[in-house]
Amino acid sequence: MAQTMTAEPAAPQRRFNWQFTDIFVALGIVLLIVGAWGMWTRLTQGLAPTELNSYVPWGLWVGFYDYLVWLEVGSLLVFTTSVYLVGYKPLARLKPTIYFTGFVVLLMALIIVLLDLGHPARFLNVYLYPDFGSMITWMVWLHTAYLIILAVKIALAINKKPANGAANDRILRILAYVSLPMGLALIIVSGSIFGVVTARPLWNTSSLPLMFLISSLAAGSGLITLLAVLFWPDKQSGEYRQVIGRLARLTAWLLLVGAFAAAVIGFTFLYQGSPARADAVMLILTGPFWWSFWVVHLLLGVGVPLLILFAQSEKPVWVGAAAFLSVITFVAVTLNIVIPVLATPELENLALSYVDPKMNYNYVPNLVEWLLIMFILGLGSLAYGLGMRWLPVKPTQ
Amino acid sequence: MTQDDKLLDKALAGDDSSRRSFLAKFASGVFAGLVAPALMGEAQAVSAAPAEQAQQDLVPLPDLPDAVEGEHPVVRMMQDLRRALQKPMAERKWAMVIDLRKCTGCNGCNIACVTENKLPPGVTYRPVMTETSGTFPNVKRRFVPRPCLQCNNPPCVPVCPVHATYMRPDGITIVDYDRCIGCRYCMTACPYSARYFDFGNFYGDSEGGERQPYELLPTPEYGRDYDRASGASPIGNVRKCHFCIHRIERGDLPACVLSCMGRATYFGDMNDPTSLVSELIAQPNVMRLKEELGTDPKVFYLV
Repeated sequence: MAQTMTAEPAAPQRRFNWQFTDIFVALGIVLLIVGAWGMWTRLTQGLAPTELNSYVPWGLWVGFYDYLVWLEVGSLLVFTTSVYLVGYKPLARLKPTIYFTGFVVLLMALIIVLLDLGHPARFLNVYLYPDFGSMITWMVWLHTAYLIILAVKIALAINKKPANGAANDRILRILAYVSLPMGLALIIVSGSIFGVVTARPLWNTSSLPLMFLISSLAAGSGLITLLAVLFWPDKQSGEYRQVIGRLARLTAWLLLVGAFAAAVIGFTFLYQGSPARADAVMLILTGPFWWSFWVVHLLLGVGVPLLILFAQSEKPVWVGAAAFLSVITFVAVTLNIVIPVLATPELENLALSYVDPKMNYNYVPNLVEWLLIMFILGLGSLAYGLGMRWLPVKPTQ
Repeated sequence: MTQDDKLLDKALAGDDSSRRSFLAKFASGVFAGLVAPALMGEAQAVSAAPAEQAQQDLVPLPDLPDAVEGEHPVVRMMQDLRRALQKPMAERKWAMVIDLRKCTGCNGCNIACVTENKLPPGVTYRPVMTETSGTFPNVKRRFVPRPCLQCNNPPCVPVCPVHATYMRPDGITIVDYDRCIGCRYCMTACPYSARYFDFGNFYGDSEGGERQPYELLPTPEYGRDYDRASGASPIGNVRKCHFCIHRIERGDLPACVLSCMGRATYFGDMNDPTSLVSELIAQPNVMRLKEELGTDPKVFYLV
């Protein structure tokens, strides 16, 4: 408990003890209030008020879902690999923080994708009548298992009873080894959801699941770096600077590898012999939302962070800023994977064959969709702030 | 059978059994009636040569497709259909043939489909695409109706996480409205954009008024009355053309087939070698959409 009562009869201290993490609570409340109308509209009117339609059936929400999955799985993969496989022990201090962050991010992702369903209550059908030939089935089942493992991990990581210490560590180690291939499978399945769709040439490549893996590692590494900068307990120590320096270099190299791989794939697709793919790539590069790729992702998400991470890797504040930029702009990547491909007509003359607002290729997310995202982010932010305050999930001393 | 149909049958049953020759004769007669008075008026001064020249200068008649011989196509398709229904379901394969040379782009099939299945705004199982090619003045236009192509290897089926969409033994891919979770994965997987999401819209709502009585009628799809006016399924579900399966199973042709004024759409059992569709599919001028994907559609286009 943050407040302790003294035995003295003196007046108890009623002054609220503000903590840094209360920013998340405040931000959460603001976002919940702002986004409430979006949530209310979704709950009362279904998907009709959105700009989703029969030709572009997935949009902002699916893009955000994938973004959050990248953050969650990527951060856990980087952490587990660093601590349990590579043996970089100093990072283990972030264990409860990273597990808890991953848990909250995963919950947000699942709520968003649940609300994207036409019949959210029927999500149980995926457990009752599963078709394991579908990537979505695998995704749901893996997510469920991952959520349970993560909950157990958090429970064990915050259990401070000394008597249970060794046993907890052993179970945590086993769970880490289990969750490593599971996390890999989850991110590959997330990419394969798009990769197996033969109808969409830009998605239908064997490289897409691998791109998902590389991107999630880069995004996850950025998130861990940000968490380290925000929550490391003794920021004057040499260990802190060493950890930040290593995380900065790891994030920078993952960003570089991801950018290089994306460039190679993009140039291949732009070859004129595959017009269907080239059209979708050109829509990303020069379409109405060109800025989301060039400015948001490439400049703010890759270029600027790379400059900072290589030039200022010894300065934690700069590294934190770079990681923050990288993490928040990664959403442009998933949105650019999901939307332009669907906005490229499969049959050229279909668009004008029947004119209806729910049958068009000009998808732009509307206010309802953005407000719902704000509401879910607000929910996550509030839960995160409360958890950081009341649960022992801050980095251990 | 209407009087016009009887006349057509009679014409078809004559010495010149093809429609082309029938039309050629008809056009020649009309032409003769038009030019004869003029020619007769100058018969004294003009020799026969200009008349022959006029005949030679005529633009040749368009290369119209041959009509189907024998019984009226609708009668024949009905007989094919009822014969197929006598067989076990797995032994029949429903197929559709669309003659693009006959399609006028009237959208009658589309409207008939919307009416039959009580489709809401934003859901249409059979849009008619207009394809324009060439540069002015050498411009060509053709109309391509696009129902669900009822693929033999449907990419929409394996992606469904809950087995809500599947191919029946007779080759028709359907959606179980009671199981579909509305994830729309199948929509992204269909290479023909032939799946639609029911967002729960009503025509009356968009007009700002009240819902019209025709919108409150239940949809008879799959032989059940789905009352979407109550807010239940198929709202929130993916919907698609099912070849009017509820009509087929009571011995009727799909609404789009019956409503086609140009008799451009044919339907039947492609597993029956004597059926009309089998006969049409056997022609060399048959094509299917995006054959390179290997989806093996059961909707064939005559070009």
